[in-house]
Amino acid sequence: MTVGYAPVAPDPVAAPGRPGRAWTAAYDIRLALPLGAFFLVFFLAPLALLVLVSFYADPGMTRFGLDQYARFLLDPFSLRVLGATLWLGVEVTALTLLLGLPLALLLTWAPARLRGLLTLIVLLPLLTSVVVRTFAWIVILGRQGIVNASLLALGLTDTPLKLLYTEGGLVLALAQVQMPLMVLPLVTALSRIDPNLADASAALGAGAWRTFLRVTLPLCLPGIVAGCLLTFAAAITAFITQSLIGGGQMLFMPMYLYQQASSLNNWPFAAAIAIVFLVAVLACVTVFNLVGRLSRGYAQA
Amino acid sequence: MPLHRRSLLAGTLTLGAMQAFPGLSHAQARKLVFATFTGSWEEAHRAVLVPAFRKSTGSDIILDPMLSVDQIAKVQAARTNPPIDVMLHDPGPALTAIAQDLVEPYPVAQSAHYADLIADAQEPMGPAPFFQIVGLTYNPEKVKTPPTSWADLWKPEYKGRVGITNLNSTLGTGFLVEIARMHGGSETNVEPGFKALEALKPNLAAVAANPGALAALYQQEQVDIGPGNFNAIQILKARGVPVEFAAPKEGIIAFKTTIHIVKNTPVKELAFKLIEAALSPEVQAKLMQSPYLIVPTNRKVAMEGEVAKVLAKDAEDLKRKSVFQDWAAINRSRSAWIERFNREIRV
Repeated sequence: MTVGYAPVAPDPVAAPGRPGRAWTAAYDIRLALPLGAFFLVFFLAPLALLVLVSFYADPGMTRFGLDQYARFLLDPFSLRVLGATLWLGVEVTALTLLLGLPLALLLTWAPARLRGLLTLIVLLPLLTSVVVRTFAWIVILGRQGIVNASLLALGLTDTPLKLLYTEGGLVLALAQVQMPLMVLPLVTALSRIDPNLADASAALGAGAWRTFLRVTLPLCLPGIVAGCLLTFAAAITAFITQSLIGGGQMLFMPMYLYQQASSLNNWPFAAAIAIVFLVAVLACVTVFNLVGRLSRGYAQA
Repeated sequence: MPLHRRSLLAGTLTLGAMQAFPGLSHAQARKLVFATFTGSWEEAHRAVLVPAFRKSTGSDIILDPMLSVDQIAKVQAARTNPPIDVMLHDPGPALTAIAQDLVEPYPVAQSAHYADLIADAQEPMGPAPFFQIVGLTYNPEKVKTPPTSWADLWKPEYKGRVGITNLNSTLGTGFLVEIARMHGGSETNVEPGFKALEALKPNLAAVAANPGALAALYQQEQVDIGPGNFNAIQILKARGVPVEFAAPKEGIIAFKTTIHIVKNTPVKELAFKLIEAALSPEVQAKLMQSPYLIVPTNRKVAMEGEVAKVLAKDAEDLKRKSVFQDWAAINRSRSAWIERFNREIRV
């Protein structure tokens, strides 16, 4: 993760004795050319096409107009769908951070042998398909699932609770599915913190909590920002998990888009939904990055 | 040696491109491409239809399973050189494909089997090689008296036990039209259907995103009763899930799944032969056997097994028991219904 690198430890790239910046400046653009060309053809061109399609006024694509955007932006229902999607992202990100930070700390502090095993466990979800992971959650959250069976056996409830097809269930499932995206940047940031800093803090009389809040947390803020960005973006676009755990009546932007494009063949409206969604997400990411940049200033202070 | 490096790079890129787009080098010798549906349909077609086609033509065939909408999008994007030669469609998308001029009329006069099809399967723009049947699905361990009518779903004893899908699917849309009809509505007036859905809310355990997800909910005992696709239920049953299919007395909903020759296909003759094979009594009789249980449309096929037991004794019986919906009318208002369903049906 290069997002927000706190210049506390010496930068290995710019280390004295190496050619450093001048070398990179001369070559990095040209090295990126193949990927750049690939992006141009397979990402930017389709994106431009998407923008074009969104400006058609009618589903038959015969004349141009702003009708699709007006239809979305002036419709309280559509705006609610957008709001619900972004809010879902915030909930999932918060839960992932809450559960992921202790895990990342454990991973950083664990002895080297154990660390390999823990890393594998963290990465394991990435090695299985999202569909499989999501189906596992259907089994866990269902009426006859592990959670309900345990609750019933313990006598905590008489009738199975409705967990599947609820927002709570969806947030939980998404948090698990996206967990590696949060933990990996956090581990990267945490492992870059000089362990002597914690010792220095302790020597100066700070307790474990104080050291965590005043030293560790500020220094790993860039990792937190990167992890949050990745988790947020992945959670709001997780079409499969959203539709399988959330069900057919919990409408989020990806399903709304799919419905218009796929069941109704209304490509202009679907394209407009995609563009609105893209802009909204970019706005969120920008705000987040800004927070990240401010926090870096804080980390240096 | 920058020149050498560059030519090496160009060579590699070309090789890579040929690997990624084999069409570049093999544009001439084209095999027939049949876009069937994913899942059990693909399995059935691979096991029965493909060997029959190979035997009758000696040619090879590629199955490229995908959703109807994807088939339409792909052909639409390359009308003059379509990547698919034979399409398979549910009734809604079939009308879209015909309206967008993506399919050829079926050469009825040359067909050996077209005249043998049940009248409802005879579609000049693309005949129906099978029907998809929607009726009531239930878990016999939880629902002791088999349901006999769509109205049973509203019984208070099924509070929180009913599962449906949203209107994205043919199944969900067909169900809405059918319950509208039950309350005096029709394809052009689904108001009574929405009222009935509103009244069904206390009983709803789940609104699944698609028929596949709905079927999985029976497996998890998340739902015990609801509208369901006959073939989807058979697959679950074969895997030991306690589910049964019951024909409602109002009639089973029969969707014509139609097969079409794509306009401008370079292998029109092979496409015709594949469809002929799909319409033939031999192939249809095999597809009717377990585990596929695909409902035949050729009158020469004698109904047997589970299909005969649960659905119909013969073609006449099937016709009598089935409801065929007017998808031209449904397509005209479907977008408004989906919008309304989005807004009103929240559980």
